[in-house]
Formats: sequence, structure tokens, C-alpha cells
Amino acid sequence: MLRHITKRLFVSIPVLFGVLFIGFMLMQVVPTDPATVLAGPTASAADIEAIRESMGLNEPVIVQFGIYLSRVLQGDLGRSMISNSAVVDELANTVGPTIELMAASLIWAIPLGILFGTLAAVRRGKISDRIIMAASVAGVSMPIFWFGLVLIQYVGFKWQLLPFQGRAGPLWTIEGIRHIILPAITLGGVFIGPVARMTRTSLLEVLNSDFVRTARAKGVSERVIVMKHALRNSLIPVVTLIGLQIGFLLGGAVVTETMFAWPGVGRLAVGAIVSADYALSQGAILVLAISFIAVNIIVDLLYAVLDPRLRTS
Amino acid sequence: MELRKLLLRAGAIALTASLPLVAPAAAETSISVMRTIDTDRYDPHTSTSRATAEVMFMMGDTLVALAPDMKGIRPLLAESWKVSEDGKLYTFKLREDITFCSGKKLTAADVKATIDRWLALDKGVVKNRAGDVKEIRAVGDYVVEYELEQPYSELLYQMTQHFHTILNVDQVNKLGDDFGVKGFDGTGPYCFESWEPRNQLVMTKHDAYKWGPDFYKNTGPAKIDKVVWKIVPEDNNRVAGIQTNQGDVTQYLPYWSVDQLEANPQISVTSPPYYFWTYYVGFKITRDIVNDIEVRKALNLAVDQKAMAEGPFFGKAAPAYAYTHSGTLDYASDLIDESLFGYDPEKAAAILDADGWKMGDDGFRVKDGKKLELVAYSFSNIWRQVMEALQGDLRKIGVDLKVEVFDATVIWGKLKTQDFDLYTMSYPYVSAGDALNLYFPSANMPTPNRMNWDNAQTDQWLKEGRGALTDADRAAAYGKVQKQVHDAVVWIPIVHEPMFVAAGPRLKPVEAHGIYGAGLYKGLSLELK
Repeated sequence: MLRHITKRLFVSIPVLFGVLFIGFMLMQVVPTDPATVLAGPTASAADIEAIRESMGLNEPVIVQFGIYLSRVLQGDLGRSMISNSAVVDELANTVGPTIELMAASLIWAIPLGILFGTLAAVRRGKISDRIIMAASVAGVSMPIFWFGLVLIQYVGFKWQLLPFQGRAGPLWTIEGIRHIILPAITLGGVFIGPVARMTRTSLLEVLNSDFVRTARAKGVSERVIVMKHALRNSLIPVVTLIGLQIGFLLGGAVVTETMFAWPGVGRLAVGAIVSADYALSQGAILVLAISFIAVNIIVDLLYAVLDPRLRTS
Repeated sequence: MELRKLLLRAGAIALTASLPLVAPAAAETSISVMRTIDTDRYDPHTSTSRATAEVMFMMGDTLVALAPDMKGIRPLLAESWKVSEDGKLYTFKLREDITFCSGKKLTAADVKATIDRWLALDKGVVKNRAGDVKEIRAVGDYVVEYELEQPYSELLYQMTQHFHTILNVDQVNKLGDDFGVKGFDGTGPYCFESWEPRNQLVMTKHDAYKWGPDFYKNTGPAKIDKVVWKIVPEDNNRVAGIQTNQGDVTQYLPYWSVDQLEANPQISVTSPPYYFWTYYVGFKITRDIVNDIEVRKALNLAVDQKAMAEGPFFGKAAPAYAYTHSGTLDYASDLIDESLFGYDPEKAAAILDADGWKMGDDGFRVKDGKKLELVAYSFSNIWRQVMEALQGDLRKIGVDLKVEVFDATVIWGKLKTQDFDLYTMSYPYVSAGDALNLYFPSANMPTPNRMNWDNAQTDQWLKEGRGALTDADRAAAYGKVQKQVHDAVVWIPIVHEPMFVAAGPRLKPVEAHGIYGAGLYKGLSLELK
């Protein structure tokens, strides 16, 4: 298993290099001029050229990439063209809130998704199964921004139950929790449907397998069969799905963070791209890519937890 | 079993958290201002953005202030000034009771150091707004001599803008690249406390401040202890936020929300008496087809500005029939033929007919085998809807307009090219001369003079206007330019943007100001109920 993880880490290196290269080149091919953005709408061509020169943007692209790569390899992601802050510092300030938001979303969405999927599988064909599946299709189809707007409109504005702007502190404070609830519901809400559907499908398959039939023949109660034997065996595809969905969740975090003015890495990425802040955009892209790779490795580890055969193979 | 416990605990937390909103006690003298985007840094010499200006006005001061009528020049850091007969020497007498937030006393040396820094800075922008400076001299501690190589009639108006904010240059030098990011020492009503780029900026009251412009009822100190500028990009969130005390004031209101907010007795919505921010579509007049003035005239007459003001702007904007607002200083109402810009599609079609553009079978006009087909580069915000309307208007007279819409990351790069026939733009200005000197000098091609308007006579008149020694001479020179460029119909004026400043239930109505689109200006009218 350790060898497998080590191998995965090595395989990630070219992936990260590719992310660095593509991220850098994407910013180059977009006809964006950071100097023009920085100078503002009423600056003259001479003003813009002076800024370009001072930012080193007149160097050949390949030279710029070489400089960037050598810095990254030394752990230096550069400085924001906008604020002059170290990109690492800007990312460090925003990664925490994003992790908080994702954790707060997943902590209720995954159990709920599995619970609904299990209920639907156990009551296959009954009205509760149909309701859960219909709701999960609606959840899958529901755009994040729409769900967020509905929550803002009703929970935040009309009923004034919860705040919907920004982050008010760490999660161990009441205000911190109050501020994260709506973004977490928004982000987690779109997660429940796919998890429920996958859990249902996988559990139904397991419930039809030989060892379940054997257990039933031995008189084991249906509750024990589902909760102790079948559910655990059905979770591998669910974990795979969760790993993939977290990638999409990172994308959803960009929308959610923008909508709720949440100071996370997604909003940072959008702000950096809009303001043509090359260094920060690339840093944010790198962090998102590393997160995706890390999630995949964690999923691999979870396979081993869920399936003992993988631990010994 | 464990899952059940977890769910129970989560439910308990959710129940506790969903108690009705209670404003924290510490927030009583703290307000939040909501806006859509942040700036690059708080350095008045390196950015022309509104986001920079609106904070600079509150954290810093200029030598003189612009009255809400956008014409009167009022004392600020300078209690008086005089201009030499040849218009080249401005002598400012500074107030002697002014301090920076750091406690350092403001002296003439700070004024000199600030302007010198701006002019010497490689990244410094719009240095032309400082005039053609020969030398700035500090005469003693409180007299500044501002000497120009040639007269600059707009100087005092330009001096009201945020570019002229007076800095503590000692602190600027000490902070180096971190100036405007980790610190800013100004003389304004509020002091820099902290900044998290793209998230929030916190400023606190400058206790010693008492030199605010005399058109404010409160000339200082400010009545709010702490102002937090929050970035809230989403329209609905800001509109809901202002009504639920999650944000206290904003001027970034979607137009659809204005009536709703005005109808809410808890919310006050105010507008400045004058505000100059105009939307226009420019022609790149060196391009084929739009180099023909008859085509430009026809296109102008085909555009229904009133419908645009009522559509995308929800009836809140004023249709524009000239390049600048009629309330601007030196606006030449008697020289500008506004009928060139009215809505008259029949006349537009007749002009094209007379110019040889015949209607083809496909509904588009053709002349000498060439289709009347144009390309426009446009911003993606409200401009998208404006350009869709414009496309429809032009379609009615047989013009095929292809609109390419770009977001803010891309548009500026695209506008540097020469690959379009029309482009969209909106901009702030303080006077007719300000607008003309920005867009029409040949030296400003290709940006911001994106029309490629290259006319020696214009340059000469602009020079005369800039160098005029009397208001009348300045107005006469700028009047000639206005007549010339309006007669040449190089823009399609669309609307004059309105400004609405909404204050939430906790605040008294705000005295809005129109300077550079920064509605709060000095922030001295911000006050809790």
C-alpha cells in the first residue's frame, strides 16, 4: 500500500508540472494585459508601457516561464502583481476558509447522502425510494448559484435567520458557525443527490450478492445485514464518487464563495484572474490542482480502509 | 449509533445558530461599505480606478476640494491660494493645524515630496493631470509654490482628484513596495488600519481631523469609529445585505433594485446633485466605412438612447445626446448640435441612401459591392444589453453589427488593437476640458484616444484651453473643440450614468458626491441614526 501511495505521489509530479505549464500559458494566451488593468481606464499608452516594463512583462514568454518555474521549485510562488504580498501568504490566508467551507459542506452532505441512498435501496420501489430519487435528481440538476440565491432570499433576507456575507471568525465561535451555515448548505446541497444515487445503486448490487444471501439464510436480521455487512461493502464506488465530486466541489466553491463573499481560495482565484494577477492566478490554480491530487490519494487510502484485501495486496 | 449522536449534535448547533440576528455590541460605531471590486493598491499615483479613488478620498486629502456642484473649488489642505498673472505660478497657503494619521504635522515639504514622487515614479499614471511642472517649492513650512512651464487652466480642478492626494512620503519610502498595501499615512478623516486584498479594508476615525471641506455640515472628526470596506461581488447579496444590516451603505446597486430600496422606509437612497460618468460607443475613424462621416451620422441617428436608458438601466439613467453632461464646467450648449444624436431612423436611412449605401436583398446595405458590416468590441457587463439593443437599432437601417463581448480580463488587451470599428467605454470626468484632454489629443492615440482622432487644430485648441488665463478664454477654446468633435460624430453617446447611494436602517441618509464616481467622497456625512 505504501508503495502504491509513493508511486501515486511520483506520478503526481508530471501532473503538477503540466498544471504549472498550462496555467502559465493560459494566462499568456488570454489577450489580457496586467499593466493595462493595473493602470486603469484613463491611463495613457505611455503609462501602460512603463508599468509593463517595471513588471518584467516585456521579457520573452519562455524566459518568464523559466524564471517562474525556478522560483516555484524553490518554494517561491512569487509576489502578487497587485498587492505585492507573497503569493504563499495570500494563499495561506484563503486556503483555511475554503477548507472550512468544504469541510462544513461535506460533514453533513456525505452522511445525509449515504443515509438517503441507503433508505432508498432498502425500500426499493416504494414511495420513499421514489421521493428520494426524485429529490436527488432535482439536487443534481440544481445550479449552485440558484440554490444560494434562494437561501439568501428566504433564510437570510426574508426571515433574517442567518447572515449571508463573509466569514466572521473561526468555526469554534458562534458567529463563525452562523456565517458558514448558508454557504455550507449551498455547497453541500448539490452533493447529496449524487452520493444518494450512487449509494443506492451500489447497495442494491451488494444486497443481491451471495454473502448477503448466505447471511439471510443464517437468519441475520435485515438491519444488521444492511448496516454491518452490505453498506460497508457498497461504499467503495461511493468513495470514488466522493473523490471525483470534491473536484467539482472546488469549482462550486468558486461560485459559493463569490455569492456569499466568503474569503476563500476560489474567490481569490477569480479576483486574481479578473485583475490579471498572473502570479496569484497561477498560485491559486496550483493549490486547486494539489488539492485535487491530495483528495485522490486520500480516496486511495480510504479504499484500503474499506477493503482489507487492498491492505494486504 | 455514532452517526445518530453526530446528527443530534449537528442539529443542536444548527438550532443555536439559527437564533435571530443580533448586531454585536462592538459594531455600534462600526459600519460596513459594500462594493463589487477591490483595487490593486492604495497608491494614488499608480491607479486610475474608482476603487482606489473612493478610499483615497477618505484616507487622504487634496490641497483643494471640489464642491458638490462639480464647479466650485473649495479650500481643503490649502486655506487659500493665488495664481500669478501669467498662470504659471500657484501659491498655496496651507492650514497649520493639519496632521497625518501618524501624528506627523503636514508641511509644505510633504506637498513638494508628494508631487515630486508622482512625477518621478516610473509606474506613475496620468502625470499630465499635474500640469507641466517646472518646480514645486516649499517656502517655509506652510507655503507651497507650484510652478508650471506653461499655464494649465484645469489645474485646480485636477487638484481635487485623488491623484493629488498628499502623502507622508517618509512613510512611502519606509514601506517601499508595501506602500498602499500594508500601510498608508494620509491626512483624511479616516486612517488605514488593515487591508486584505479582494476581501476587506478597515479604516478607523482620524481623531484629530477638523479640516473637512466647508460644504459638509460636519467638517470633522468623522462620526463613525470604524469603516470596513467589504467586497461583495454578488448583486442580490448587496441588495439583501443593505436591508438586513449586513452592510450599511453601498453605491453599487443594480438598477432593478433602486425602486425597491426607495420604497423601503428603512433605507435611504440619495444621489449627488451632479455626477459625470458617461457611456459612449466610439468609432475608430481610421477604419474603412466608419471613416465616412455620413455613415457615422446615420448610425448615431439610428440609436434610440431613450430606450436604452429605460431598458438596461431601468429608466434610471439619462439619455446622452452629447459627449459630456450638460452640467459640466465649460459645456458648450450653444455650440453642440444635439440633433446629430437624436433618434430618427428615417433620417438615418435617408443619409445612407444618399451616401450610396443601397439596401440589399438580405436586408443589409451594400455600396460598391461592400456590405455595411461593422465589428464592435464591448465590455461584458451592462454593455452586453446595451449593445444588443444597439445591434437591433442598426439592423433596422440595414447595418450588420457584429458585437464581440469580452470580460474585464480581456477587453483592455483587445482595445489596444486596431481590429474593431466600434468600441464601448464609460468614464468619469470633472469638466468638459477634463474629458476632452483625455480623449482627443493626438498624443493619446491609440489609448485612451481609441478613435484615432488626429487633428492638429484640436491639439492647438486643447493647448489654448489648457493654457487659458481666464475662465472665458478656457471655455471658448474648449467650446471650439466640442463643436468640432461633436460635428464629426466620432462617438455615439448612450447614457449618463446615475449614482445612487443606499444607506441601511442604521444610518442617516448620505450626502452623496459625484467626484470620480466616489459617492461617499470624504465620508463625513456617514452617521448612525
